[in-house]
Amino acid sequence: MRQEGLLRHAAVRLLGLIPTLLVLITIAFFLIRMAPGGPFDGEKVLPPEIRANLDANYHLDEPLLQQYFRYLGQIITGDFGPSFQYKDWTVNELIAQGFPVSATVGGLAMLLAFVLGTLIGTVAALRQNTAVDYSVMGVAMLGISIPNFVVAPLLILGLAVYAGWLPAGGWDWSWQRMILPVITLALPAIAYIARLTRGSMIEVLHSNYIRTARAKGLPESLVIRRHAFKPAILPVISYMGPATAALITGSVVVERIYSIPGLGSYFVQGALNRDYTLVMGVVVFYGVVIVVLNFIVDLLYAWLNPRIRYSEAP
Amino acid sequence: MSKPALRVQDLAVTFTSFTGGVLKQRERLLRAVDGISFELNPGETLGIVGESGSGKSTLARAILGLVKPSRGRVLWHGEDLTALDEEELRQKRKELQIVFQDPIASLNPRMTAGDIIAEPLWTFYPNMARLQVEERTRGMMKVVGLLPNQINRYPHEFSGGQCQRIGIARSLVLNPRLLVCDEPVSALDVSIQAQIINLLKDLQKKLGLALIFIAHDLSVVRHISDRVMVMYMGQAMEVSDKQRLYRRPLHPYTNALMKSVPVPDPKLAKEARQASWLTGDMPSPYQRPKGCIFHDRCPFLVKRCEADVPALRRMENGDWVACHRAEELDLSIEAAASG
Amino acid sequence: MTPSIPKLLLICGALSSLTACGDRESDFGRPLERRSQPVELVLLEDGRPDPEVLAVDQFIRRGNGEEPETLDPHLAEGVSAAHILRDLFEGLTTESSEGEINPGAALRWNISRDARTYTFYLRRDLTWSNGEPLNAEDFVFSLRRVLSPETASSTSRTLLPILNAREVLAGELPVEDLGIALLDEFTLQITLTGPTPYFLGLLASPVAFPVNRGNLEELGDQFSRSGQLVSNGAYILQEWVPRVRIDLRKNPEYREAGQILIDRVSYIPTEDRATEIKQFRAGELDWTYEVPNNQFKWLQRYYPEELVVSPWMGSYFFGFNLTQEPFIDNPSLRMALSLAVDREIITDKVTQFGEQPSFSLVPPGIDGYVPFAPEYADWTQEEREHESRRLYEQAGYSDEWPLRVEIRYNTGDNHKKIALAVASMWKQILGVNATLVNEEFRVFLQNRKQKLITQVFRVGWISDYNDPYSFLELFLTGNGQNDYGYSNSTFDALLEEVGLERVRARRERLMFEAERVLMSDHVIIPIYTYVTKRLVNPHLRGWQSNVMDTHPTRYMFKLKARENPSGEGASQ
Repeated sequence: MRQEGLLRHAAVRLLGLIPTLLVLITIAFFLIRMAPGGPFDGEKVLPPEIRANLDANYHLDEPLLQQYFRYLGQIITGDFGPSFQYKDWTVNELIAQGFPVSATVGGLAMLLAFVLGTLIGTVAALRQNTAVDYSVMGVAMLGISIPNFVVAPLLILGLAVYAGWLPAGGWDWSWQRMILPVITLALPAIAYIARLTRGSMIEVLHSNYIRTARAKGLPESLVIRRHAFKPAILPVISYMGPATAALITGSVVVERIYSIPGLGSYFVQGALNRDYTLVMGVVVFYGVVIVVLNFIVDLLYAWLNPRIRYSEAP
Repeated sequence: MSKPALRVQDLAVTFTSFTGGVLKQRERLLRAVDGISFELNPGETLGIVGESGSGKSTLARAILGLVKPSRGRVLWHGEDLTALDEEELRQKRKELQIVFQDPIASLNPRMTAGDIIAEPLWTFYPNMARLQVEERTRGMMKVVGLLPNQINRYPHEFSGGQCQRIGIARSLVLNPRLLVCDEPVSALDVSIQAQIINLLKDLQKKLGLALIFIAHDLSVVRHISDRVMVMYMGQAMEVSDKQRLYRRPLHPYTNALMKSVPVPDPKLAKEARQASWLTGDMPSPYQRPKGCIFHDRCPFLVKRCEADVPALRRMENGDWVACHRAEELDLSIEAAASG
Repeated sequence: MTPSIPKLLLICGALSSLTACGDRESDFGRPLERRSQPVELVLLEDGRPDPEVLAVDQFIRRGNGEEPETLDPHLAEGVSAAHILRDLFEGLTTESSEGEINPGAALRWNISRDARTYTFYLRRDLTWSNGEPLNAEDFVFSLRRVLSPETASSTSRTLLPILNAREVLAGELPVEDLGIALLDEFTLQITLTGPTPYFLGLLASPVAFPVNRGNLEELGDQFSRSGQLVSNGAYILQEWVPRVRIDLRKNPEYREAGQILIDRVSYIPTEDRATEIKQFRAGELDWTYEVPNNQFKWLQRYYPEELVVSPWMGSYFFGFNLTQEPFIDNPSLRMALSLAVDREIITDKVTQFGEQPSFSLVPPGIDGYVPFAPEYADWTQEEREHESRRLYEQAGYSDEWPLRVEIRYNTGDNHKKIALAVASMWKQILGVNATLVNEEFRVFLQNRKQKLITQVFRVGWISDYNDPYSFLELFLTGNGQNDYGYSNSTFDALLEEVGLERVRARRERLMFEAERVLMSDHVIIPIYTYVTKRLVNPHLRGWQSNVMDTHPTRYMFKLKARENPSGEGASQ
């Protein structure tokens, strides 16, 4: 049965997460340790006595393999350990503070991108090779090619500094402060989704069963909604898995520019500061998010396409 | 004869394509259907035959308004379908239906057989009770030879022949008066082809449908048609009564098509191939030959064929042909030779 | 003589490709936002501002750079945290608005004749923000906490002058053996290893601030969080929303609470400097942490009142690795390279931020010290270049046999531009083939320290305390910071004398002499001395520019806005 196959498939995938994460943790752990310099190296060199105390405090004086197993033991209990850099916080606390912010901004951006992107892409596909199509897709191309760090300052200058409608930066969970970052994050995704939708929509609209649907006498809007939309967004769905993972775990650039306390800056800050526990924490967390989202994409795929079966035997 | 149900007058479909670079763009016209006229009576079956690329499918879609004709009229019981707006035309789908060539690809893979068949009912009779829709759907399935308990299966769970039965059920669920079958069996096994053709023939008789049946070889059409139109490069070469056409084709192209009918016996097939003189491909549709469009492949070519376009003209017996030499050529022996 | 125009063009051309990476978006047009003007400041007889001119809401928002890593004064390292901690806590000594050392928790002190023993007499009416009395024992507890190995404080190095500090940190002696003695409830004696003229200044830094023992013992490493921190400064921690803001409000228990005008201060993290400016322009900040390098000209033009630039105690220079070819035992070559660098062009055309071109190690304005200036500091650049070419040839190089050298720097727009400019000057004047090597910060530091592959490398040094010694000691033989491999017994001997000398004038002369020795050995190529640069709301007064760049909020106040004829003009 289909349902059973799906459940079994889910269970297998979830079990498969464990070795994936183990590999991820191992690679990340040794990679960051291989990077020259450590968390306590700075322009000002520490006297050896102080350095020894710090190393002992964070177990950096132990052999690397011992540290690795210590970390594994810790992580099994869900504890990412204390941050080297942000001494008042544990990595769990930092993620717990940062992720809801990033997830809100990123999630809203993805939602906006999905709605607008598929809408624009569909309109362009229906008006293929007309002025509407060319102008919409031209704008979309711009959306992809203009990077965030150009769009964001322009938005701030225009809407915050000159017009004074929205705050220039900062965070307090109000919608005013979400607008600009959400738009900035959504723009390239809107453009990309629009292009994906347009391409696959055109292809789907030329398919035989759409011809059938039209021949049945369905109104065009129904042809699009009932017959063309689902297959046309398949490529969008597979793009959205990793894209959503990237967005909801925070964009470094957007978070910096809008001063948003999300998760994104921890990737860079953690790596630059050699904040081993923080880097490990966010990498593992990101890994889990990616695997989970890909899993959701798989389920969506199955929902959108009954030809996919998850039973083991044919 | 009663008043014709369908009258097609000088119907033409032109596609435009663009070639060349961004700066030097050239427009090219492809005349897929080039001035076709015919009439169809209620309950009558017209077979349309031609090589692939001859414009048969485009003609079928143009008749139903699925592609926009560039010229000509399609009169359905006196009403010009080409003059209707989208919504009016949509309403006509209740009466005019089509069965497509590739049965599996023509069914939405995300819908169950039942939904596919029932969808036209939802669309045109939104107030119809659920049970009634289901009853009608199951009934249609039975009519086309499907088991009603297969109602919740998806297309990929059916064979090609079964899919075509779904397609036929779907097209008949609204009780249309004209059914266009666009190569409904060309993608199917020979054994299945016969079943489907018989099914269509039975249904036509039962429902009194006007039927247009399109195929690329004459043998398929022979069984079901009352009259046959032979198309070449978007134009009608010959429109004849089936009996007469199969006995004595009027047009050299018809003759050629008959010879290319596959023959089951390998020995005979070899002979048939040797005897066949339909060599070479159709000319590029963008560069239509001057004069008779068939002249560069025609063995009976005379000077006139290169210069003058032969009109489709009516013969004494009521058949139509577009050949200067229709009267002087007797192709019946040749036709008999191929069996 | 090489005309300077083509050279300039060459450098600018080389740089033009880089400028695209920076954010120059503010170049388009002058600002449109309306800015209110403050009223004229009127002072009362006691020097305090007339309440009439003060804004009703004494609330300020300060951009504060990176998120502070902690508000535990003994563990915090960064400048961001230090700004906040100076508001929250007060040490034995404290800084005036000009950055001078004043009495803090200690009312007065005695320094012994050998300059090694300091006796502090605390004010008797001090309390913590929770109302508990604060006395000398709190300081003993706090200083011992900093220096005990378990605390693992990296800033504890600041207190290394205290007797036995090194041994205690190494775990060789118990904390009780530190040179810190409690004489009575309000008297504290600190003994040093040797004379340390800047010691009183060290005591004003966060690492020497007292922490509340009860607070710490109750909450452990979470004591410095929102709503829990007990402190003794002018402000108390009201709310800390990580990476959003840190709100402080006036501490009614502070000894001078009555004098303090700003009621509330909000520290806003501003990681991105370009955004910080926009927040300032949108009226969301009264004070920025800094401003982007590439917007100086624009800000100078459109924000002359808000832009504040002042000298800072930091130097930017390039160092030579003296342990490897080609610079080992080759002072003429080093001097040639130094002379060929046109500092003016770098500060005027490349960095463009009012930095001072420099020919010495120590920046001007540190505790009254006048840095050593070599003879060629007064030459024209043509003369320097002439001499440079002579020295270059003397070192055995020529057009046919050019020097090949690597300039190493850590990732950063500014560093890249400067290195590129230096390389083009060397190429232009001497024909040197210089390669730029860009490294991630910690990789760069490690390479510098190993002294194996470095040749010429970037150094930026910002002093911890107001004393030229903090610059000079970097070049001591065997100093952990000596990435140059410099070793000169004369220099070492001079610095040792500096450490023992108590007479200020003589000490200064010794340091001057040491700097002369160092500069004559051409260990470094000084480029410029740092400046601090920020935007400040013209309504905000009471602060002063100083080389320490310390600006406690307790000295500040906010003027109300001038009545605007058009009826507009809120105070923010």
